[in-house]
Amino acid sequence: MPEVILEVEGVSKSFPGVKALDKVSFDLRKGEVHALVGENGAGKSTLMKILSGVYQADEGTIHYKGKEVRFHDSTQARDAGIGIIYQELNLIPHLSVSANIFIGREPLTRLGTLDEKRMNRDAVAILDRLNLHIDPTVRLNRLPISKQQMVEVAKSLSFDSEVLIMDEPTSALTESEIDELFSVIHTLRDRGVAIIYISHRLEELKHIVDRISIFRDGRYVSTDDYTAISMEEIVSRMVGRKLENIFPVRHNVPTPEKILEVRGIRRTGVLHDISFDLYRGEILGFAGLMGAGRSELARAIFGADPIDAGEILMNGRKVSLRSPSESIQAGIAYLSENRKQEGLAVKMQLAENITMANVGAVSPRLGVISRPREMNACRQYVEDLTIRTPSLTQIVNNLSGGNQQKVVVAKWLFCDSKVLIFDEPTRGIDVGTKFAIYELIERLAREGVGVIMISSELPEIMGMTDRVLVLHEGCLEATLVTKNTTQEEILNYAAGLGKGTQS
Amino acid sequence: MSDPQTRRTVDHGPEMAAATGRSGAALDRFLTFGAVVVLFAVFSITAKNFFTMRSILSLALQTSTTTIMGIGVTFTIITAGIDLSIGSVIALTGTVAVMAAIAGVPIWASMFVGLLTGAACGAANGLLITRLKLPPFIATLGMMMVVRGVALTITNANAKPAPEAFGGLGNDTLFRAGPQFPGISYPVLIMIGVALVFHFILKRTRIGRYTYAVGSTEEAARLSGIKVNRVKIINYVFSALLAGLVGIILASRMVTSQPNSAIGYELNAIAASVIGGTSLMGGMGTVGGAVIGSFIIGILTVGLTMQGANYFMQQIVIGLVVIFAVAFDQIRSRR
Repeated sequence: MPEVILEVEGVSKSFPGVKALDKVSFDLRKGEVHALVGENGAGKSTLMKILSGVYQADEGTIHYKGKEVRFHDSTQARDAGIGIIYQELNLIPHLSVSANIFIGREPLTRLGTLDEKRMNRDAVAILDRLNLHIDPTVRLNRLPISKQQMVEVAKSLSFDSEVLIMDEPTSALTESEIDELFSVIHTLRDRGVAIIYISHRLEELKHIVDRISIFRDGRYVSTDDYTAISMEEIVSRMVGRKLENIFPVRHNVPTPEKILEVRGIRRTGVLHDISFDLYRGEILGFAGLMGAGRSELARAIFGADPIDAGEILMNGRKVSLRSPSESIQAGIAYLSENRKQEGLAVKMQLAENITMANVGAVSPRLGVISRPREMNACRQYVEDLTIRTPSLTQIVNNLSGGNQQKVVVAKWLFCDSKVLIFDEPTRGIDVGTKFAIYELIERLAREGVGVIMISSELPEIMGMTDRVLVLHEGCLEATLVTKNTTQEEILNYAAGLGKGTQS
Repeated sequence: MSDPQTRRTVDHGPEMAAATGRSGAALDRFLTFGAVVVLFAVFSITAKNFFTMRSILSLALQTSTTTIMGIGVTFTIITAGIDLSIGSVIALTGTVAVMAAIAGVPIWASMFVGLLTGAACGAANGLLITRLKLPPFIATLGMMMVVRGVALTITNANAKPAPEAFGGLGNDTLFRAGPQFPGISYPVLIMIGVALVFHFILKRTRIGRYTYAVGSTEEAARLSGIKVNRVKIINYVFSALLAGLVGIILASRMVTSQPNSAIGYELNAIAASVIGGTSLMGGMGTVGGAVIGSFIIGILTVGLTMQGANYFMQQIVIGLVVIFAVAFDQIRSRR
């Protein structure tokens, strides 16, 4: 059995009002990729922050390379060889690759100026070890996100890390970039680096993971060899109950009534002559790889981005696409994948967010908002969508991801929207809550709206949609009836390999 | 992911929520208001004649202009902007109003012309920021110079005496009752009116709601159908309109137009707003906060003067108050 490099025993950590970790134990072996999974609030991040010295444990011990350690800050952990790569990259976009790798410990010339030559040379050496060919002098923000992430890995390695913690590393990557990351992870593992891999995307674990540990509600649940445990078992341990179905039973029936017609939408270099129809009661999927133009198409229909040609009709009537406000009035709603930047005013109250797109409805006279009316309207949505919140005046930032998503839905229902475009509605939302979101989408379709669902997760497309449009590099490759297609067929079209279109 | 903050507020009842969010802002306001009371008490004890009706009324009069400006700039700061052109707008509106009055335009109409001039400056700021996509700091910095230059040019940099009737607004009082009670000056009444009206606008109307929304998360506001550009322009017009009002009040008090007046006033207004809890990051701030912030500055100025501290000393103290007010906020929000 390979040697254990890191051993956590009985570690607890409390914050005011919540016990984030409760006597957790966990071990990590040299040269393994160890997945750590659990729902939001399971304590994964807290544990990682303790391992990397950001937090200190209230009780329990951590043995690293056979010795008990207690890191007081992240520098100590890093110098000892424990590196962490956060979901949000900790790099400086305007500096070069090598400057980023050596930031804070730049080699100097005898005159005390930066020794650029040496930095670049050393950077190349480190990048080579990862089989990466990146010019060290290029400015970081000229690189795609995936390469930036590799730079972060390289930076971490330059500290001779023996333990590398990766928190949701694939959340911003495309399929091919993910493959690239995985090959880097394999290289590292073969060199004996121990990797803790945190991810919400359970699907991808099979490509890289040796063992898997499951956490729930701040407690340790189990550790298994990845090959010895089924996906169903993982999910049910994460959630703490059996998840009978991943998707709700679908009762929505597409009607023959066209609610939205999209005709020849074109935007140079982004969207190429796209036409399709959406029917009342239908859930229509948008599938495709990252960068295929799915979100761009949605934003074009919503009037959020300018288009060069094309038109859309709602219930047979033409909609001007000059600005979102006109699309909203026509009954179209777009629920962005970036909830916090584009969906919600996070510093504002729940009630203020629900009425945001239609304040007029609670402002009976002269633009003066009637607070009682506003509260009454919102109370109904909070009950109806089972939004868990202590009050209607709660600041939205303090709600969980699933509840925030429901607030966005409530906002659009309050506008009486007839077409709802969900862009990656379950991204960053934990398994237990996903089902609630699916149920909600199904219910909306059943109640007669038209739903467009953009998703990068094919099982979600297969489980939730009636038809699916497959996009590839801004072109509509295929329109498929979901129950007559397969994930493989969709993938072929998405990769641009499909033969002939059926649109 | 497992952010303990989030879980805490979701899992527990309203008591917990009360410690966060907007109710936190209420606490802040309570604390800043407490600071006003303490300052007032300290000066009442230490400075002779501070706690007299006459000096309180004079304090209100002196503070009225900062308050009115501070309310205006608060609107722009809530949208995550700034307005540096306030001082210049004050000078130009006063100048234009006085010149109109000299030219024989009725006093009320000349004042109205002044206000329109102010509003036009605000619209220019707003258009530069929304159409040319200039950062508000740059747009209003440029306008600060342009507007000042215009004021100096049209007057040849000379102060001009206004018709005597022009001085009524700035110098007359209401409810005068002998030497004990010299009456409430019109500027003070205007300040109270402005505070009430703009508080109402910010808290109860759609434009106020949109102001917060744009400052909180601009893209989310746009995708909610809010006409972000229009909201911003209106806010810069508010700011310049209130600066224009101050310009007229000052010109009226001096009974002259002074194209060189009000240099640097925008910084006092911003300081007042920030002391009152407005966040330069946008999305946060209140009219009440701006009023309290102005009064903290006002009480310090008057109180220190009466204690014999010179102008330089006052600057040091007020500067420190700005720094520590915001530092205090930062420390509080960190936990």
